[in-house]
Amino acid sequence: MMIDLIDTIDSYAKSNGDKVVYNYDGQQNTYAELKSYSDALAEHIDAMGLPINQPIIVFGGKSFDMIAAFIGVIKSGHSYIPVDVNSPKERLTMINAIAKPVAAIAVSELPAELPDIPVINQTELEQVFLERVDYHLTHAIHGDQTYYIIFTSGTTGVPKGVQISYRNLQSFFEWMVGDEFKLPVDLQMLQQPAYSFDLSVMSLYPTLFRGGTLHALSKKTTDNFIVLFTALRSLPINVWVSTPSFVDICLLESTFDQDHYPNLTHFLFCGEELTHQTAVSLKKRFPAAHVFNTYGPTESTVAITQVEITQAILEKDDRLPIGYMKPEMHARIVNDQGQALPEGDKGELVIYGTSVSKGYINNPEKNAQAFYQINGQNAYRTGDITTMEKGGLLRYFGRKDFQIKLNGFRIELEDVSGIISKEEHIKQAVVVPKYNSQHTVSMLIAYIVPEENDFKTDLELTSAIKKNLAGMMMAYMIPQKLVYRKTLPLSTNGKIDIKAVISEVNTQ
Amino acid sequence: MDNVKETVISILNDLTGEDFSDNLDENLYDSALLDSMGTVQLLLELQDQLGINAPVSEFDRNEWDTPAKIIAKVEEMQQ
Repeated sequence: MMIDLIDTIDSYAKSNGDKVVYNYDGQQNTYAELKSYSDALAEHIDAMGLPINQPIIVFGGKSFDMIAAFIGVIKSGHSYIPVDVNSPKERLTMINAIAKPVAAIAVSELPAELPDIPVINQTELEQVFLERVDYHLTHAIHGDQTYYIIFTSGTTGVPKGVQISYRNLQSFFEWMVGDEFKLPVDLQMLQQPAYSFDLSVMSLYPTLFRGGTLHALSKKTTDNFIVLFTALRSLPINVWVSTPSFVDICLLESTFDQDHYPNLTHFLFCGEELTHQTAVSLKKRFPAAHVFNTYGPTESTVAITQVEITQAILEKDDRLPIGYMKPEMHARIVNDQGQALPEGDKGELVIYGTSVSKGYINNPEKNAQAFYQINGQNAYRTGDITTMEKGGLLRYFGRKDFQIKLNGFRIELEDVSGIISKEEHIKQAVVVPKYNSQHTVSMLIAYIVPEENDFKTDLELTSAIKKNLAGMMMAYMIPQKLVYRKTLPLSTNGKIDIKAVISEVNTQ
Repeated sequence: MDNVKETVISILNDLTGEDFSDNLDENLYDSALLDSMGTVQLLLELQDQLGINAPVSEFDRNEWDTPAKIIAKVEEMQQ
C-alpha cells in the first residue's frame, strides 16, 4: 500500500501539530505551521493561474520558509528548483534560461532580476504565510510528474537540471525508513548541506515522512568552528547525515564522541568517497553507532546503494565498498562498447530501475549521451568505474571522465576550466585536482597563463581574479590555488593536456 | 620566533599558492583565500609541523583571519 508523502506530512499537523519539524539555528517551527504556510502558498500559486506541472524556482538558504515553500509548490501541482542563496547571479540567470520556470519564489532576495516571470518576493511571501486558508489537496505532484529539479555541474559551463519525479523520490524515502537502515522511530536528523545539493534530500524527506525533526545549521554557523561546536553540542540529533568532509572537521574536536553525543546512533554518508581513515576514527569515537556508506549520482535520486561499515569490513578492506543496490534498482558493469562484463571485472557502472531520473530538463543532447532504457526502465550511465562482486557488493575505483568530488561537491573539471578562462586577467587556464593519500581530492589548482597586467605581485593578481570568480561561479568550484605559467602543456591535438598537468600536480 | 613565521608562511603558501611574506595583514577569508576545509588543513598542518593543538571547538575564525594573527596565536600557544 503506497502512502502519499504530502498527505502523511499534513496528517502530523492534526495528530501532533505542536511537534517541532524544523530547528534552524535555534528558531523552531511546528508541523501545524508547515501545513498552514504551505497551504496558504499553494492557494496563492493556484490563483496565479500558471501553466500546471511546470517548474518554479525557490531561491534561499536553509531557513524554515524554504521547506514550507517546497511543500507549497508541490501542493499546487508544480515542481521546484532549489537555488542556494550563495549562488552567483550568473548561475541563477542560467538556470532560469535553461529550465524556463513559470515563476520564482524569493525566500531570500534575488541577486538578479528575472524579468520574464512572476516573482513572489520576500515581503509578499511573508504576507502569504500569515494567511490562514482551508486548502484541499486535489492536484499535488504525484506519480511520474517531476517533483524537484536539481542543477549540477555541466561540462561546458552550462549546468544540467536533473528531473526527479514523485515516484523516484518515494522509492528513495521508503527505502531510507525501511529495514536496511533501521533508523530510530523519532527521527532527529542533521541537515547540513544546502538545498541545491541533493544530499539535503537524504535528511529532508525521510524526516518529514516519519514526522521527525530536522536540525539545520546555517552556513554562518558551519563556517566558524567555535559557533559550530556550540550549536552541535546543543542538538539532540540521533541520525547524522553529511559528507565525509564535514565529519572530518568534527573529528578534529576531541569531544566529538559517544559520551558527549549519547543520542547519536546512526551516521549516513554520501556525496563523496568515505575513506578508511575517517571510518576508523569515527568507529573509535562512536563504537556503538551504525556507520553507513552510501552512493548514488543525483540522476538516481540521492543514493542507491548502502553498506554498514563494520569492524570486519575495516579490517578486510583498505578502500571501503560503496554497497549493495537498493530494492527496485539494478546494476550492470559494462566495457567501452557497452557490453556487460563478467562478475568481478572493472568497468563503467550502468544503473536502471525506479530511482533513475527521466533526464535533464531541456537538454536532449546530454540525455541521449547519458540516459537510455533497459527492460523498459530508465537507465543511466554513471561514468563511475566499479566492480560488482558475487552477492552484489559494489566497489568504486574512479571516473571515466574529468568529473571529481571535492568536499562532496560534484565538479566537472572542463566546466571550471571553461568558466575561469573567461575571467578578464586570464588568457588560458586548466584546473586540476590535487589528491591526498586516501584517493580524495584535497583541493583544486588552476594553472594559468595570465594576460599582461600591472599588478605588482602575484598575490594582488590572485585576489583580483578570485574576486571576479566569486561572481562567476559557485564558491566550491573556485580553485584554492592559482599557479602562474608562461605556457601550458598541449596534447597532440593542440588542446591543453589536462592529464599531463594532473600527473605533474600529483607526483610532487 | 622567526621559525614560526616562516613555517606559517610556508603552510599558507601550500594551501593557497600565495606568498604572504610581505602581506601579513591580508584577510584570508575576505579574499576567499581560505574556506572551511582550508582552515581544517591549516589546523592539521600547525599541529603536525609546530605541535600546536588548537581545539577546533574554540577556533574563532575572527581571531585567525590574517597571517599575522595566526603567527601571534601560534607563538602565544607555544609558550
